[in-house]
Amino acid sequence: MVLLRFTLSEEGVNALRDALACLNKFSDEVSLEAKRDKLVFTALNSSKSAYAAFSFASNRFFSKYHYEGIAQNREKFFCKLYNRALLSLFRARTGDSLHDPEKGGSAIERCDVAIEDEAGKKSRFIVKIACRNGMTTKYRLPFEVSPPVHAKFDRNEAFNSWTISSRTLRQLMDHFGPGIEYLDIHSEDDSTVNFTCFTEKVASGDEVLKKPLHTSIAVEKDEFDTFDVSEDKLHIVVSVKDFRAITQHAAFLGSEVSAQYSMPSRPMQIRYDGDGVKCEFLLMTVGERGAPGQRAKKTRAGAKPAPRAQQLEAAASRATSNAPTPAPRPTPATRREPMPSLRPTAPRQSQRPPPATLDHESLFVPQDDDYQWEPVRMNEDEDEEEADARLEWDASDRPNPSAVKMSSVIVNQTAQRSGPGPDNGMDQDQSLSYLEPTQRLSQARQFGLFND
Amino acid sequence: MDSQLREIWATAPGTPFQPTVGKDTQFTVAFTLLLLGVALFGGFALNRSFINIPLLGVPASLALAVGTVYMFCAPPLFKAIASSTRQIYQLLKCISFTAKVHVQITQDGIRFAADHSRVMQGRIPIGGCLLKVQETKTERSPQFQINLAAFLEALQIFGASDVAAKQAKADAEPYRSNLRNYRPDAFSHQTLGVPGTCCLLYEEDGSPLSIILEETGVKTRCNMVTYTPEQPDDIPFDRDDLAFKIIMHSKWLLDSLSELAPMSPTRITISASPNAPYLALSSGGALGSASVDFTSGRDLLDTFTIDTKWTQSFKFDLVKSATEAMRVASKVSFRGDGQGVLSLQFMVEVEGGTTSFLDFRFVPYIAQDDDEIDTDEEEEV
Repeated sequence: MVLLRFTLSEEGVNALRDALACLNKFSDEVSLEAKRDKLVFTALNSSKSAYAAFSFASNRFFSKYHYEGIAQNREKFFCKLYNRALLSLFRARTGDSLHDPEKGGSAIERCDVAIEDEAGKKSRFIVKIACRNGMTTKYRLPFEVSPPVHAKFDRNEAFNSWTISSRTLRQLMDHFGPGIEYLDIHSEDDSTVNFTCFTEKVASGDEVLKKPLHTSIAVEKDEFDTFDVSEDKLHIVVSVKDFRAITQHAAFLGSEVSAQYSMPSRPMQIRYDGDGVKCEFLLMTVGERGAPGQRAKKTRAGAKPAPRAQQLEAAASRATSNAPTPAPRPTPATRREPMPSLRPTAPRQSQRPPPATLDHESLFVPQDDDYQWEPVRMNEDEDEEEADARLEWDASDRPNPSAVKMSSVIVNQTAQRSGPGPDNGMDQDQSLSYLEPTQRLSQARQFGLFND
Repeated sequence: MDSQLREIWATAPGTPFQPTVGKDTQFTVAFTLLLLGVALFGGFALNRSFINIPLLGVPASLALAVGTVYMFCAPPLFKAIASSTRQIYQLLKCISFTAKVHVQITQDGIRFAADHSRVMQGRIPIGGCLLKVQETKTERSPQFQINLAAFLEALQIFGASDVAAKQAKADAEPYRSNLRNYRPDAFSHQTLGVPGTCCLLYEEDGSPLSIILEETGVKTRCNMVTYTPEQPDDIPFDRDDLAFKIIMHSKWLLDSLSELAPMSPTRITISASPNAPYLALSSGGALGSASVDFTSGRDLLDTFTIDTKWTQSFKFDLVKSATEAMRVASKVSFRGDGQGVLSLQFMVEVEGGTTSFLDFRFVPYIAQDDDEIDTDEEEEV
């Protein structure tokens, strides 16, 4: 039974490819969600620090769109696909300029996509691409039916916002070289806004610079279409890799980019629209730099509360999704059992009552999720004072793990903890050294860790 | 003086040079002379006396000297000259899927054959205008193997002096070279047609294959070690039992393979049928399955002759290793015989309006061994 059938023109294929290429920078997998009026592609990165969603309006973007739906859920259908396969089949095909020169450079005539899912038959995502020269290619991709994880953003909380033309933004970002991790956006005074790029990565080996580059660009406020930030000198820091992926795609569409945020360590929303496409991104922001102790307290306080079950929209099959398992373990973690200690424990949660200042719908892993991965800590208070705990929330763009299996994600995260972790990793390492190894180093290596 | 020289030049074609000893007999003459010289010299050494100097010594040295000269002049087994190596290089690159290639010297050129574990063969005859055969022993066709990568490397030396000259010029005038680096150089030897020659020389059985490249006063000689031939039999392809024959642009074949490639398939199933889809290529891999058909593009196929439905599957990587040939070729003749052997003949248009042909043959997977996979793919298609 065909659940969904739609047809794309060549421009549609190009737009879809751009969107998928952008999603590919966030995650290996892309979640598809089809409704009667729209088709949504989403991706959440493996550290759950960035979320991207592209919503294609069914009546404008597609030449044909027919949603049938399944018996169990008439409203919407969702599945997960491997993005690399999608990208390769929606790739640009160069036309044959020799045989029909007037159409040179374009090869795709139309693209039919159908999703089949029926008991007793193979569930397939079927793409049929008809080329102008008459060749027809039919792809059948397997997919996994699992609910997508959506990030939520509270607009009422986000009182800071700005909008800027995507081209200007792209030009700004082009000035920053490679090897940077974070982008700090802050308003200097009434007339200028500073974009500062920097990295906290410590160069290893014979490289002289410890913290290589600190590039700052001052932008006139006039460049922004609107700029409405209530607090002066509010430093908002996001991951450059994610931000770049967004600006690149936004420049393709050439529309106006708007960003909304509240304060450091709270998500930032970036939105822009194209023709029949709505693009929305949520980036976790890193706590502000400069006042580590004070900031550390703030973010830590913010992180403790949110009960995990409320972080994500209902996900029916937890086993297949990337979301952290919510089930709290009644037994407190001990050093003898390393794996159970990776889960949040009930007693510890009760030790930290949720402050009222933060909403309970934060998508992201709490900033100090270090706590849940490590054994019981004796000197909590002392640690609280530690000023060098700079980035509680791990925004580093570490390579995506296979991102399919829950276990691999967990293992990966443990591995990262024991690897070159945040600055306060020293004493953690010591406590971890008592643990029995849960995994061979070679297994951890395949996730791209320890490469450097 | 000047006019005299011209006269000699003018009369030269009328009186062609005829060596006193015929070209074919030079080797035997030289060999007997050398043998005689050595024998006489031995005799002289045993019995040294004044009488023996003119009797043995002088004839011995004469025989040795003349014999050596004739030995040098003795014609090689094979000698051919090409004025450009670019096309040869381009053609040979198509069969670079194996390390060693089988070389067979024939009357009108060289035939290169590459063999991949007896299931894929690629053959290129090079001759005609690409390679002018100067001398060859007609009665024998020597065979040997050479390392293809080394041979290709040697061919690339041709034209290297041009590049070096350009580089030297660029170093001397950095400003100008930066400005016009992208332009084809009007004064390069290639454009000016300054004669350069590439000579292939094979002296005798077991001797190295020499490539002598000569251009602008630089002479390079590369000696390729030759190996004993393995005598690979050609994959039998029965021309009288053709199941189908399609001629089409090789670009379409290349396109369809590149459509299948992203799914990282292990095997490719090729099926030709008398009705739609006339020609279909399909494959399944870890990421999914893909199939390309020519249903709506019958005009893509120049000729299409078929008796019955023909379906065979091949190793994808092997078919993929012929992609270089698909890239340089203009047309492909796509044939399958009753046994399931696939033959791809590529027509490559070489500069100067002539054509060369590349021949690839593939042995299919045995059908009954993988029934369940076949049905699986059938279902997928």
